[in-house]
Formats: sequence, structure tokens, C-alpha cells
Amino acid sequence: MAALIALPPLLPKYHLEVLISVVFWAYLGIAWNLLGGYAGQFSFGHAAFFGIGAYTSTLLLLQAGLTPWVGMFVGGGLAATFGLFEGYLSFRYGLKGPYFSLVTLAFAEMLRVVSLNTKAVGSSLGLVVPSATAAPAMFMFSGKLPFYYVILAMGALALGLTWRIGRARLGFSLAAVRENEDAAEAAGVDALAAKLRAMALSSFLTALGGTFYAQYFAYIDPTITFGPSVSIGALLPAIVGGAGTVLGPVLGSFVLTPLSELTRYALRGRAGADIMLYGAVLVLVISFLPQGLVGFVRARRGGAR
Amino acid sequence: MSLLEMTALTKRFGGLTAVSNFDLRLDAGEIVGLIGPNGAGKTTAFHLIAGFHEPTSGEIRFKGASIVGFKPHAICQLGLARTFQIVQPFAGLTVTENVMVGAFNRERDAAAARRLATEIVDFVGLSPRRDMPARSLTLSDRKRLEMARGLATRPELLLLDEAMSGLNPTEIDGIIGLIRLIHARGISLLIIEHVMQAIMALSHRLVVLHHGEKLAEGTPSEVARDRRVIEAYLGEEP
Repeated sequence: MAALIALPPLLPKYHLEVLISVVFWAYLGIAWNLLGGYAGQFSFGHAAFFGIGAYTSTLLLLQAGLTPWVGMFVGGGLAATFGLFEGYLSFRYGLKGPYFSLVTLAFAEMLRVVSLNTKAVGSSLGLVVPSATAAPAMFMFSGKLPFYYVILAMGALALGLTWRIGRARLGFSLAAVRENEDAAEAAGVDALAAKLRAMALSSFLTALGGTFYAQYFAYIDPTITFGPSVSIGALLPAIVGGAGTVLGPVLGSFVLTPLSELTRYALRGRAGADIMLYGAVLVLVISFLPQGLVGFVRARRGGAR
Repeated sequence: MSLLEMTALTKRFGGLTAVSNFDLRLDAGEIVGLIGPNGAGKTTAFHLIAGFHEPTSGEIRFKGASIVGFKPHAICQLGLARTFQIVQPFAGLTVTENVMVGAFNRERDAAAARRLATEIVDFVGLSPRRDMPARSLTLSDRKRLEMARGLATRPELLLLDEAMSGLNPTEIDGIIGLIRLIHARGISLLIIEHVMQAIMALSHRLVVLHHGEKLAEGTPSEVARDRRVIEAYLGEEP
């Protein structure tokens, strides 16, 4: 942790960009993990919340001049509301496993198509976020380093939140629901309420990540923010690292993100080859480490869990 | 006032009537056994009481108030806990963590919930396994874990669904002893059981279900002599 705070100013620009990427995907993984890992509700459409966050804060900035520092929480609130709506529809009617995943995917795709066809939000041209001048109060910085510390702080806060939840009543309720919903209900756990809480928290945090993305890259469009690559990017670090564990998404991102950078570099010029290699590595990881890296380490140590 | 009172309880699944016009009363402090051949509707009756199914018609009152339409967790929080015939531990959690899930109904704070869970784990005789994942327990220990999870919710009435099925005679004796200890804590019990010597020894009163209807009711010795009960179990004399 100390190295993560102290070293980055010394890093060359490219390495710093990779590190920002690592922490950013770790953050989204942590957010996804609350719902997908702890509650065991496998969302395949977290891009919906990510996009709501990115578009809300950016539109508020462009149309009303509202600083994204505030806009991100408006976006978070909207995303959480949307998440509760999605969750209530799904959970109320008992959708589980792949059916729930499909519903989340459908909602994200729906938002992607709607935003593609809505002129007011820039349709397929997307939105350009002003970034020419440094204005920390407006979430605009010169250089990459401040962005790094912002996402590092967001990651640390999300990690701390996950850790606290895991040790509190909600964490136990979520684990019980994940393991066996009927037994959880019989033990007095309000399964619907627990899942909705996880949904709200997870979508809220994911939306904040959307705002970060918009400010950092200074450009958003429907395919980037509502597309499946964000949904997959959010769930992979958690699954590869260890779903339902505090550190899983962090570990997962520290392995996956540089790996994807490396394959892209090693196979430059051959379009798509890097994604195929990356995919092959993922298949291997998921086949041989179904409990994720954290599960693997625990098994080697002979721990109880 | 009875602790649990069911009147004219009926549950139909499509054309099949699983429970029909069933009356049952259980007073505080009682152990009531619910017996009957396979398919008689015993487990359906449990599902109805615990809120896993909604009755087609009829009334269920717990501590004088209707609980029809309540969700299982709400019924549990009122003080009516159940175990499952097919044990359903939270396999990935440790024994103590399993029990803590129940304990959180009475203790908001994690440390207090852990204390309550540890006490209950000890009470059911699982303390040597408290930090083991539930998936590594033997069937007998899983049955104890089911009871522990229910007990941690501090119930007034505990429904036990075949807590002894699949166990050997020594293990059965252990569970009988545990049920007596639970009763001694002031908890009333409604028990489904196929192990006859156990349910005869434990129950103050037996209720016999057959084809979803109440066939007989009385003390264990009355029921054991009842001609209709014998016929239901063994078939009619030629």
C-alpha cells in the first residue's frame, strides 16, 4: 500500500497509465464483487450503472456547469435507483443465476441503444468533456498523477466498505443468500432486502467509476460506457481474483490488466490476436482456479476457507 | 391461547390436495409429533407453517396472530424456526458463521452475534468443529448444525423435519438427548419423524396425517393402538 502511494510520481508516463488502469479495473471489480461475489448475483450488465454515472455527471457539467465532484454522486444516486428497479423486477419474480445475468445484460444494452439514438445525449458521437485547463474543483487535472490518486482513494474507500460489510450482519446475510436462499430465509434473513442492498451499493459505486472514466479520458460514447466490455471488465478481476473475497478483485486486476497490456503490445499489428490470447489465458485461469487466485492461495496454505 | 393453531388448513397443487382441512393445536411447552406414511403431507404442512408455501385456504395463528402470507424470514423473526429434512447448510461458511446468520436476528452487533453463536454451537455439541466449513461435516453433525442455526434465532417454537433420518442408532440417541435439552430450555417443538421409537419417546402428543388429512390424534400409546393408524402404515388385514 505504501508503495502504491509513494512510487507513482517516479514512474514513466506509460507505466503510470497502466497502473491507473490496474487500479481503475480493480475499483470496478470491487464494486461488482459486492453484488456478484458477496451476494452471488452474477450481473452481466454493470455497464448500465457505469454509463449512468458517466453520462449524468458529464451532462450536468456540460449543461449546468455542475462540478463532477457533485455530479458523480447524483449519478451514483440515479444508478442506485436504476439498480433497485432492475433488482426488484428480477428478484421479486425469483429470477436467479443466468436469468438474472440476462436481465442485467438486457438493461445495459437497452440503455446503450437508447443513448445511441438520443440526440440530447450526443447519440453515437458521444460527449467531449472539457479538459484543456486544469481545474481541480471541476475534477480536471493536468497530467495523470492526480487522477491516479483519485482512483486510488476511491479504490481504498470501496475496499474498506467491502471489508466492513463482510464482517457485519449484511455480509453474513449476503453469504447465506448466496449459499442457499431458502435456508437463509428460514434463518430469518430477508433475502430480497439483502440482495437489493447489495444491488444499490454496487451500482452506486460503479457509477462513481463512470464519472472517473469520463473525467480521465475526457470523452464518452454509448458503446464505450454502456457496452459489454465494461460489464465484462468489471466482473473479470473479481472472478479471476476470487469472487466474494475482499482482496480478490484487487489481485485479479493486478494480474489481468498488465496481462492485457502485454498481449496487446506483444501482438501489435495483428488486430484481435491479443484478445484471443487474453481469452485463452482466462479460460485456463477459470478452468484451473475456479475459486480464483485468493481461493488458490488459501487452499495452498491449508486454511479452512 | 395456543402457541400454534391451524384451522381447516388446505393446500392444493393443481389437482393434488397435499393437505386437506387440517386442524392442529400446539400449546407452549409441548412436544408434538407429526407422523404419517411417505407422501402424507407432513413436509407440506411444515412449509405452510414456516411460510414457504401459502395455504390455499385455512388459517395459521402463531401466538394468537395470523401468519398466513408472511415470508419465511418474518415468521422466523416472530420466534418460529425450522430445520430442513434435507439438510441445507451454508456449505462455504464455517460452523460458527452458519449459526451467526441466525444469531444476527437477535444481536445486531457482530461480536455479540458471534458470542451467541459460539454458545449455541457449544450447546449442540459442535464446538470441536466450530471453525470447519459446513461442507466437511458428517450427516449427523449437519443435522445438529441445522438445529443450531434455528436455535440461534431464539425461537419459541422449533419445527424439526426428520432430524434423525439417515443416522445410526448411536447418533439417533444423541439427537434424542439434544431434543430433550432443547425442550428443557423452554422451547416447544413440532417434530416430523419416521424413527418410531424416538418420536414415541419424545412426543407428548402425536398427530397422524394420511393422504393430507388428519387420521388420528392422541398420546403415543393411544395412537399406537389406533386401528386406522395401523391400517395406514401396514395396510388392511385381508
